[in-house]
This record gives sequence, structure tokens and C-alpha cells, in this order.
Amino acid sequence: MDFGFTKEQQMFKKEIIRFARKEIVPRVQEFDLQKKFDFESFRKLGEFGILGLHFPEEYGGGGADVITTVMAGEALGEAGVDGGLTLAYGAHSFLCADTIFKHGTEAQRKKYIPKLCSGEWIGCMGLTEPDAGSDVASMKSTAEKKGDKYVLNGSKIFITNAPIADVSVVYAKTDPDGKHQGISAFIVEKDTPGYTCGEPLIKMGVRTSQTSEQFFSNCEIPAENLLGKEGDGFNMSLQTVEWDRSALLAPFVGVSTYMLKRCADYAKKRVQFGRSIGEFQATKRKLANIRIFGEAARSLVYRIAWYKDQGKPLNHLEAAVAKLFVGDWSMGPANDAMILHGGYGYCHEYDMERIFRDSRLAPIGGGTSDIQKMIISKLM
Amino acid sequence: MNYEYSQKEFELLIELFQMVTDFAADHPMDSGTADCRQNIQEALEKLGQTPYLKLGVEHVEEYNGVVTLMGAMEVVALVSPSLFLSAEYGVRVLGRALAKWGSQQQKDEFLRPLVSGTAMGAMALCEKTVNVDNEPLATTGEKQGDKIIINGRKQFVVNGPVAKIIGIAGTYDGKPAIFIVDKDTPGLVNHETEGALGYKGTAVSEITLTDCAVDETRVIGCSEKENMVSSLRLWENQVLTGASLGLMRASFENARDHAKSHRTGGKPIIAYQEVGFKLAEMLTLFQTSQMLAIRAAWTSETSPKEAVDLTLCAKVFCTESAAQVSGEAMRILGSSAYFGSNPVERAYCCARYGEIFGTSTELSRVKLGDAALGIKP
Repeated sequence: MDFGFTKEQQMFKKEIIRFARKEIVPRVQEFDLQKKFDFESFRKLGEFGILGLHFPEEYGGGGADVITTVMAGEALGEAGVDGGLTLAYGAHSFLCADTIFKHGTEAQRKKYIPKLCSGEWIGCMGLTEPDAGSDVASMKSTAEKKGDKYVLNGSKIFITNAPIADVSVVYAKTDPDGKHQGISAFIVEKDTPGYTCGEPLIKMGVRTSQTSEQFFSNCEIPAENLLGKEGDGFNMSLQTVEWDRSALLAPFVGVSTYMLKRCADYAKKRVQFGRSIGEFQATKRKLANIRIFGEAARSLVYRIAWYKDQGKPLNHLEAAVAKLFVGDWSMGPANDAMILHGGYGYCHEYDMERIFRDSRLAPIGGGTSDIQKMIISKLM
Repeated sequence: MNYEYSQKEFELLIELFQMVTDFAADHPMDSGTADCRQNIQEALEKLGQTPYLKLGVEHVEEYNGVVTLMGAMEVVALVSPSLFLSAEYGVRVLGRALAKWGSQQQKDEFLRPLVSGTAMGAMALCEKTVNVDNEPLATTGEKQGDKIIINGRKQFVVNGPVAKIIGIAGTYDGKPAIFIVDKDTPGLVNHETEGALGYKGTAVSEITLTDCAVDETRVIGCSEKENMVSSLRLWENQVLTGASLGLMRASFENARDHAKSHRTGGKPIIAYQEVGFKLAEMLTLFQTSQMLAIRAAWTSETSPKEAVDLTLCAKVFCTESAAQVSGEAMRILGSSAYFGSNPVERAYCCARYGEIFGTSTELSRVKLGDAALGIKP
């Protein structure tokens, strides 16, 4: 066994942290307050090469392996980038772009991947519906083939990046009577007639990411916008789980390191009863808990990444374990970090309040903790 | 990176599991009955014929030191916690001290029989409290003529009543030292500790040393740069982390199997979400503990400075998880775990040891907090 990173990876991580601290982090709190997407920071992520890190260079990517890609997500969290921007990056690069890259034709790849890598276009993935969350087979959206077109009808909800996306990977049933095997995936561009988005939803956390409904009303798209073959959609959505359980969890690991540093800095400066609160054992306990959570989560997330790099099929039990752990066990440290800051932790002036809100997505997005427990208890 | 054990390591884990399981089938080691001690001694001899006792102590070709050891500890603790504790405190901790600081003569005389399983050892560290991290050791050795005279009192000495070779941590000439004392040395008295909650097959004692004379060749010292007590504690923490993995696995696997076979209301109880979800949380804690423990072990081999804090993280997380997982397993097994002796009840009792001994979880958190604040020990 070997848990080491290469020197290049370690240097790259430091570079990302330096870049993010300088270019992105100073803007985070203001954009969170305004609940606005930070287009400039997103574009900078593209310029720095993060958005397309794992895609081949010929498509504008960085040609990185999965470990390095996951490490980039951790680095953004560690630098203090908010959960909204890292979520937007995850939905864009992994749920949208990676699906197009993996299942698209050469023409589709060439058309979309370079622009998604650079950040010129923003991507999203429309899977969840009002009555079909983790129970994907209950999806009601349909895609009917008419000549050289598909006609999409239905609606999606909780779609990260939908209001700002140029490109959307949309799942709909080409066989409405079929269950999982009736689902197909399509590329839908933003100005396609019949396709609209709702107003951004008001969320508890990850507020800089824009989330909304998607509506398809007799939305006609060219037949060549089908990804892969009809009926392949469910398996494609499953493949995004590999990224969901590694790269999308990685920022939570990084954030724990950020929280630890912020909390330690505060604990050293804040004086009560004539001494810094860091001298109280109850404060040390909180710091210890944050550290322990981060170290424990880190091992799980990189395990998924390493197996993906080895080309091995995803172990769904291990993936669910990683998601469940980050989701449910991150609550304590995020709470500790906020409380350690006292009244400041409750106010927007210090970012612990935002981090606490952002972290509450972890047990919900990408399959709730209860769904992970269902998966684990079935597979054990 | 590489998240998998090699084929060779994997084969060793299977071999150890099979060997200890077969032996334990007709040689009780955890029941607390009189024959446990003899059985543990015999099992140690069998382990001495495998690479197990040498791992982490000396280089063994094709194995990865403490990294391999962490997996092997899980397997042995899974089958017999008492054998595990006796082997680890009796051979590993003392063996690692001898390997790191011992002279060639000391290695030949003491380390050889220990790692071959032919001699039982003990490592006496605790004094009037378990905590030796904040309290300086009061046991001392003083030179008188050509002898070293040792005085002190040691508590909670695992294997104390049965060990032939006893390592006594103390100070000599104002510096940390370990004195190797034979069990029959005049002035050494073993007071057996009765009635432990767990590890019922392991003998534990309090040892008093009154003007106990040994040759100077029996003193193990370390350089001034090294912190002997910290190293002993780190090795002990690794042992307790490894134990936690085995105890958690025993708890989880028994609870899972029970939940699949025990039926109520016309279906196996795993079909009830309350039980299935509980098992999912248990497995999550177990797998997370495994990964963290092995990574901490790997770090101890590759980056000893970083390993200090990471080992504490692993120790706290794994021992607390073991206590939690064994508690939940008890609830899934219900009355069949509460009454009579079985692996889950055993794991439940043994798991409490891990939280208390080594660097206690409370003290570990203080140390981790200090590390975050940049306070040096």
C-alpha cells in the first residue's frame, strides 16, 4: 500500500491553493451574501486549467489522472473557496462535460468539450424530477423521436447551474413504459425553443451556485444530440457516481483543513477570562474533532479516486460509505467550527456561518444519506 | 498511491486467520478459564513460525512493516482479542524497543526468543496512573557497584504474571531507560490484577520493584534527541488501533450474519430499515477506521514526524468507533449477545480498553488541539 502523492501533485496542490486564495477567496463572502454566481471566478478556474483538468489535452483539458483531479477539488476547499463554486465546478466538469466526453461522438466532443474546459460555456445535468429523486426509474420526462428530431417534454428540479448553463445533459424516457432501460440522455443547448428554466431557488447554503427547475415543452432537439444509444441513459447517470463520490466530495475534505486553520487562528487571538480560548480543553477538543474528521474522510475519498485510476469498476458499497461518511459525519465538525467562533460564528462576518450552511448539502445532494444506507445494507 | 495489499500480504492475512481460528476452536484463549494462559503461550509459538511477530520489529522481506502489520493485527484481534493483546504488549512493544535501542547482545538474548514466540514478554509503562504523557516516570535505576538497583511501582502490566522477560520503563542517570528484568529477580513482586472487563484471557498485574538488582547490560537507553516514552506510546496506540479494527470486524460480521438469519414478523431483521441502516453505519465506521488506521501506519513508516498526530487521529477514531460499533452490534443481537459468552459481548467489553489505555482519547484530543494551535509538546 502507498498513500503518497507525487512531488508534482504536491506542488500543483500548493499552486492551486495560492491561486484560489489570491483570485477567488476574497470574493466569496460578498457573492454568497448576494446569492450570485461568480462568473469571473469560474472563468479563472477555466483559465487555470481546473475545469478541464482530467480531459485529454487535445480537447483543451489538462490530461490529469483522477487522483490529481480529486486533489484539485480538495485544494479549492482548503484554500477557502465556497461550496457554491465548487459545486458549480463539479456539476459542470463531471456531471455534464464528462458525460458528453465519455458517451459522445467525436463531433459532440469537439463541439462541447473545449468550450466547457475553458469555461466559455457552462454545463449542467438535468436528472432529478419533482417525483423522481434517487428513484430515477420513476422519471416522467419523455423524449419522442419524430423524424430527425427528438421532442422533449417534462420538468426537472434542483438542477445545479441550470439558470446559467449553456449546455445541459438531460435525461428523459424514450420508452415511457420502460423503467431504467427506457431512459436516454440528450444534449440540450440553452436557447433551444421549448426549453426554459425557473428562477434560481433560494437555498440554505451553496448560495453562489445557481439552482433551478428546467422545463421542456415540445422542445425539439436534433436527433444527433442523443448521447450514446437510446436506453443507455441510466447507466450513464450511474457512471457520474464515480465522480460524485470522489471529486465532488473532495472539497468537503479540503474545507475541513480550512476550518481547522481558521478555528486555530481565532482560538489563538480570542481572549476570555484572561487567556486565549485555545488554552481551554473544550476548544482543543473541537479542533481535534475537525482534524480527525478530515483525516478520516480523506482516506475514503482518495480510495474511490485510486480505483478509478486503476480502471476498476466502481465499488458501489465503498462509494456509498464515502458519501455517507462525508455527509453525516461532517455535521459535527462544521457545527464545532461555528460554535468555536461564538457570536461571530453565527454571523456572516466570519465565514464559519457560510461553511456550516454549505456543508449541509453533503448528506442530501447526489443521493441522501438514507439512500447511501439503503445501498450499503443491500450490498453487505 | 496504492490502496491494496499485495498478494503476498493478502496470503499472510488469510494464513493468520486460518491458523488462529483453527487453534482457537479447541484451545480457549478468551474465556478467562485457567487454561487460557497456556493456550496463549502455545498460540504465540505458532505465530512465531509466521512473519507476524517480526512485523514492525524488524525488516521482513516482501512485507511492508507496520502497514502489513495493521491488517494482520485486525485478523488476530478478530479471532482472539486476548491472544492479540498478549502478543502485542508481550512481543511487539517490547520487541520494537529492543530493535530500536537495544545492543546486539540484548537483541540476541531477548529479541530472538520474543519474536520466535518461545518466550513471553511484558512491557511495563504505566505507573500510579495510566497517563505517562504528563507525569514523569518515577521508577528509577541507580548504579551501585557493578549493578543497577531498580525501585518503583508499575501498574496494569499486560502479561505481567506470565512474562519471562519484563521491560520496565523508568529513568537511569536522569534519562529515560528500559530495564530488562527476569521474572524471578529478587525484589520483583507481581500482584495479579483481578476482574478485568475485557481481554479475560490476558494476565495483568501490578509490579513492585524494591531494590531489584540487574546487570548494566540489562539497561536500554536512547539518544537525547529521542523521546522514548513517546515512541512507546505511539507503538501502544498502534496496537490499540489494530485491536479496534478486529473488534469492530467481529462485531459487524456477527451482527450482519445474525440480522440476515434471525427472523421476526415473517422476515429477516435486516429487512427492517432500522436494523439495515444501523449495520450500514457500523460498516461505514469500520471501513473508515480501516483506511485511516492503515494510512496512519503507512505514514509512520514514511514520515515519522507527520505520523505523531495522524496516529492519534487514528487511535481516537478507531477506538471510539469500536466502542460504538460493538454497542450497536449488541443491540442487533439482542438477548443472544447479552447472555452467555460470544464474540460480540467479548468485543463490547474489550473495546472499552482501547479508549482508556495508550494515550487516552481525552488526552489525544488535547494533543491534537495543541498541534492545531502550533503548541509544541
